[in-house]
Amino acid sequence: MMPPNEAKPLVTFWGTRGSVPTPGRITEKYGGNTPCVTVRYQDIHTIFDAGTGIRNLGIDLIEEYDKAGEGLSLHLFFSHTHWDHIQGLPFFQPAYIKDTNLTIYGSPHKEHFLASILKGQMDYEYFPVGMSEFSADITIQEISEEVIHLGEVVIDWQEQVCHPGGSVRYRLGINGKKIVYATDVELNLIFHSHADTKENKVLAQDYLDFIDNADLLIADGQYTEEEYKSKVGWGHSSIQLLLDIAYQAHVKQLAIFHHDPQHSDKFLDELWMKSRPKFHSDYKKMDIFWAREGLTLAI
Amino acid sequence: MDHIDNKSEYDNKSLYSTTTEISRETFVEEITVKQRACLEIIGFGEENKVIELGEEEVIIGRTPECGICLSIENVSRRHAHVICRNEEYFVEDLGSTNGTYVNGIKIVKCVLRNSDQINVGGVKILFTEDKTLQKT
Repeated sequence: MMPPNEAKPLVTFWGTRGSVPTPGRITEKYGGNTPCVTVRYQDIHTIFDAGTGIRNLGIDLIEEYDKAGEGLSLHLFFSHTHWDHIQGLPFFQPAYIKDTNLTIYGSPHKEHFLASILKGQMDYEYFPVGMSEFSADITIQEISEEVIHLGEVVIDWQEQVCHPGGSVRYRLGINGKKIVYATDVELNLIFHSHADTKENKVLAQDYLDFIDNADLLIADGQYTEEEYKSKVGWGHSSIQLLLDIAYQAHVKQLAIFHHDPQHSDKFLDELWMKSRPKFHSDYKKMDIFWAREGLTLAI
Repeated sequence: MDHIDNKSEYDNKSLYSTTTEISRETFVEEITVKQRACLEIIGFGEENKVIELGEEEVIIGRTPECGICLSIENVSRRHAHVICRNEEYFVEDLGSTNGTYVNGIKIVKCVLRNSDQINVGGVKILFTEDKTLQKT
């Protein structure tokens, strides 16, 4: 008998759009909020990135807090500190609640700048409320351990070099399931044949090993192959390449993420319809979908 | 330019120099919008059945008490429900055996958008949403 949903890790997409929020009718299905994803297992709440999607997560958490009356314990992991991944933090209501315990993690390669970057976006010139107004018990730390243990949730990570300023990918091991969050990386630079150097071979193998056999891979697929040609060096991957790599690595379910601001719901629906049948065969099947705001999956 | 006699020239000037005010309420009445959302059960029974959604929860399941009763073995007794929250509709699985799907993806919960296709135990249910003008 299958375990009930509560016994499985639950993944929720709160923001799926890359680069800039895109409100409006043509993006309402996949959503216009910038990246924020939660993985929840029992009482462990992990959050990945604090784009504008984190605002709605905050509203949900506050409702829970009001009902349960218990303080929130949250773990927020940043892939990197580009604007679209941090801009929701000032609007995250639980940060203003005294009972909240919020631990923030980010790359150690920021050389202790993580706190000042987050604080900087709440300087008076940008936002009327300073970070010192957060009432929650907040710890900001560059990741020092190779593996982070949060109860039964085990998280490891790797630096991703193919993005301006770098980014971090995370892998969660939960009760035998593997979930990977790997956004903001230009895989084309390391996987295409013209990039066949020793260093790239190592980077490519690292990526394949990291996502190998993932039950869910949430990955950057911002551009079509055609669009990518004029976006080389911008730090994002093409969809077709991502699909091929994920299939090669035996990924079971692929959530294409960090949608381009110019991609409408209709456009993404059409891409999905075209791509989906190609990855179903008798011996190997990979479910693919374009991540949409307001969707919760059990893994 | 065509000749314009004096009288009609005067009338035209009068027309162009003044605008008749209309009340703001006229506009308000025109833009009142009613949101209408429906679930259409497709290919179950002889005709497709359409259920209009309101604020109330609608349970989909096998037992007769369910708002949408699908009396087949693949459907759990209380399989899923559709709820309205902050003017948006969500479908949520209620721990069913065969799962609830939205556009082919197995979900625990999902916000619904126009033309989303829910699948419960092999039965297709189409969610549609539109906005209509309504007089106040």
